[in-house]
Formats: sequence, structure tokens, C-alpha cells
Amino acid sequence: MAATPLTMAERQKRLELRALLQKQYKWIDRKWDLVFWITAIFIVAGAADITKQLFAGDWDFWTDWKDPQWWPVITAFATIIIPSALQYIQWAAWRFPTGATYTAVCFFMAAWVGRYFQWHVAESYPLNFVWPISTVGAAIILDWLLMKTRSFILTSLIGGPIWAFLVWGFNYIPLAPFLQPAHFMNHVLTVADVQGIVYIRSQTPEYLRHIERGALRSFLGETQYVSLVFGGTLAVLGYWIGQFIGRYLAVWPIRRYIKTV
Amino acid sequence: MAQPQTVQRLPSEVENGSTATGRARNPTDWGVGWSSLFWGSALVMAANIFLWFWDYEFAFSAGLNSASHEFTLYYRTLFWGELITLGAFTGIWYGWLIRTGREVATQPFSRAEEVRRIAVLWSIIGVTSVSIYIEASFWPNWDGAWHQTLVRDTALTPTHIPMFYFFFPLSVVLALGAYIYGNSRIPALYSRDKGFPWSFFLLISAAVLECMEVAFNEWGHSLWISEEFFAVPFHWPFVAYGWLASGMFAVWGETILRLYEIEKAEEEENTQAPSQTHAVAD
Repeated sequence: MAATPLTMAERQKRLELRALLQKQYKWIDRKWDLVFWITAIFIVAGAADITKQLFAGDWDFWTDWKDPQWWPVITAFATIIIPSALQYIQWAAWRFPTGATYTAVCFFMAAWVGRYFQWHVAESYPLNFVWPISTVGAAIILDWLLMKTRSFILTSLIGGPIWAFLVWGFNYIPLAPFLQPAHFMNHVLTVADVQGIVYIRSQTPEYLRHIERGALRSFLGETQYVSLVFGGTLAVLGYWIGQFIGRYLAVWPIRRYIKTV
Repeated sequence: MAQPQTVQRLPSEVENGSTATGRARNPTDWGVGWSSLFWGSALVMAANIFLWFWDYEFAFSAGLNSASHEFTLYYRTLFWGELITLGAFTGIWYGWLIRTGREVATQPFSRAEEVRRIAVLWSIIGVTSVSIYIEASFWPNWDGAWHQTLVRDTALTPTHIPMFYFFFPLSVVLALGAYIYGNSRIPALYSRDKGFPWSFFLLISAAVLECMEVAFNEWGHSLWISEEFFAVPFHWPFVAYGWLASGMFAVWGETILRLYEIEKAEEEENTQAPSQTHAVAD
């Protein structure tokens, strides 16, 4: 398809933008960018990780908690909040459709640092029992959606359900081996269940283990898909909580004062 | 390349004029405006590494029974040591900030100096970001691993002592210190006559409320559940209060806008009188 010739006005606009981009300042240099993008990693990673840990952490800590009923629902909700906030911030500031991916990468690094040093080295749990999920793949798609639609409403409505499916889908791949059947003490369990029994968690007894409860189990093979659709609904809600954080806690306060004397 | 500026030399402030080598120092050189970022981050990371190794060495051998002599020796001592260290650091740093801030506030300063001060503010904010990551991600991981594995018999557990009683208050100290710094040194944004900025209000609130939530957490564990279930509702305020730290982005945003104003003023002045120097920021 032939490219549409640029109008004079468009050309002029592009030249102005290029001149602005290449403008030399006396004190504003790339160091400011570098310091911002690097130091922001920590607050973004901390915010994303604490949001996931305290809303859905138990299902992320252990392979035997990653069930078809609760895990897809609350994980989708908890993990989309901070990516959404950063999507707004980066889009509002630079028109960068990168906020979700940036957050997901920060979150991924923080989660692995925590799991390796704290769970594995300090507490001796094997990493294949306590590995964290990744949201990077889903975040790339969420950013792509924002880039194509240029609409936060469409990104939330389409991206929320997609987020729930992709977070589950991408992480089901490493989880699948742990869902294989194993014969253990005259019972057929999953490999993940065996890990949960062998590694003693005296402060996470069975009555605290929120997996596959209630009548939804009678849906048999459908449970997973019902949960994913509901997770998608909650992800839309989580997306707008993130938008609230980005819009009103991060951007709105700029140059606003509680009381001007 | 930055031009040499006419700057009044102030106690404990870095000069922005020519160095002994004759090279003009840009306020945004790594060793000028940003040195606080490197030193501050190094200190926070050193404290974190020390506390991690302390727990790695003593948590299982001395941290399981709060009634034991070993616990008193290794953990109650650590708890009080942390509070005393943090209190001393806060007193010295805030004392210096306020004392020099009174002098600085009455002195004229150049645009280059204001740019350097913004870089220092970003450095303090950057260190606060590192501290918040450590309190919100690094230690909660060990806290989860520890409390889902072992019975608690005190609020001062081996993972709570570094997390709740060092890094939580440290974030308050850093966030409030950043505001005190801006209040006296970046008057165009944070002087008292402007009012209290929402950006810092949210950031400081996040850090303070996180500390207050510690009490609710311990109360909840003593009343409802001594085991660890991370998604339990009385943990949720940790998350909501943490979101308020988004005010940090507003601090970045408003200082960036100020940088553009400074550049514009400099450009206009150079256009009108290229050879003139200035002494007072616009």
C-alpha cells in the first residue's frame, strides 16, 4: 500500500517536533532520564510486588496453591493494578505505550530477588516449589492494545479479560509439570500436592489453604474457564484502580498545594 | 558545556564554579548533583546487606524463642540498635538540613545552583525509592517465608525487626527529609508561602501510614490469626497506603517542569545579554 503523501502542515509539525527533540539544553541532559528510569524501578517494583503479595501472594508463593479456582481470579486482579497506573503515567508524560511492560519487568526482577534470596537461600525451599509468576507477556499485549486503540477505556475492556487469560496461560506452562499425577502414600495426588506435604509449613495449615472450595468444583473441567472469565472481569476493575492511582495520586498532585498561604 | 556561574559560596554547599583544573563543573555531573544518590543508595544497601546476613546467621539459631537469652542478645539488642542508629541519623541529618537551610534561604543563588539542588532532591527521592522497595518487596518475601513456616511468639520477630523497625521508619525519615530539603532550597516549588504540596503530602503519608499499619497488623495477628495468610484483609491497608507513594511521581513531574522553566529563563537571558551573569533565580 502506497504511503499517503504528507501535507505541508504535517511536514512542518514533524520538523517542529524533531527540532524540539534535538534541542540542546544547558542542564537538561540524559542523566535525568537515566536517574528517573533507574530509581523508579525500585518504587514500581515495590508497589507491584506488595500489591500482588498481600492480595494474592499465597497463591503465588507455592505451586500447590496454584489452583483452577482462586489463582486465576485474584492474580489477574492484583497484578494489573500497578501496570495500569504506570501505563497512564508513561502515556501522559511521553506517549510511551510501555508502562505495563516496564512494571512487569520491574516486578519480575523483584519477585525473583525475593524468591531466591529469601525463600530459597534463607529458608531452604526449592525454587521449583516457590517460583514466582511472570506478567511480562501479558503486559506487552496490554501495552500493544493501548498503542493501537489509544483509549484507556478500550484497553481496560479488551485488555482486562486478555490479561486474565494470558497471565494464566503463560504461567500454566511452567506449572503444568507440577500438575502431573503422582502416587504418594497410597493416594493419587499432583506433584505440587506432594511438594506441599513434604515441605513443612506449620504456619500455613490445611485449613488456611484456599484452593478449590465450594460447589464450583462440581463444574468439573469448566471450573478453570469460569474462573478465568470472572478473573477477566475483576481485571477490568483492577485496571481502573490502577488508573485512579496514576491519574489522581501520581499526576494530579503536580503543582497543587493543600493550602496556599 | 556549562558556562562558569557567579555563585555565592555557602557553608557545606558544593561550589559550581571552576575547579582547580580550570574545567567548569556542571551541576548535573555525576560527582556534583548526583553524588548524594550514590552515597545514599550505598548506605541503604549496606544496611540491608548487614541485616540480611544478621538474620541469615542468627534467625534460626537465636530467633525462634523470644523468651530465650539468645533472642535478647541477638534480636532485642538489634531492635534497640536499629532505633538508636536511626534516631541518631535523623537528628544529625535533620539538624544539618534545618540549620543550613535557614542560612541558605536568605542567600541569593544562581540557576546552576538551583539545578544542582533539584538533582540532590532527586537523589534523596531515589534513595527513598530504594528504601520503599526494600520495605515493600525484599523483606516481605522473607517475612512470608518465615511466618508461613514458623510459629510466632512475639511482634519482634527476626524478619519484623529489620523490616518494620528499620526500613519502615527509614522511609519516613527520607521522605520527610526530602521535603525539608526542598522547603529551604527550592523555594520556587516548596517554600512555605506556596503551601504544603500534595506530592509530598501523599509520599510522606504513605510512609507514615505504613508504620501505623504495623500496629494494626500485630493487633490482628494477636486477635484473629497467629498463622500467616498473606492475603488476609487486615494486611490490605499495607497495599492501599503504599499506593499513596505514587506522590513520588508528582515530585519528579513538578521538578522537571521547574527545570524547563530554569532553562527557558537562562535561554532568554542569554539571548538578551549573552555575557551577563546572574545572582538570583527568577
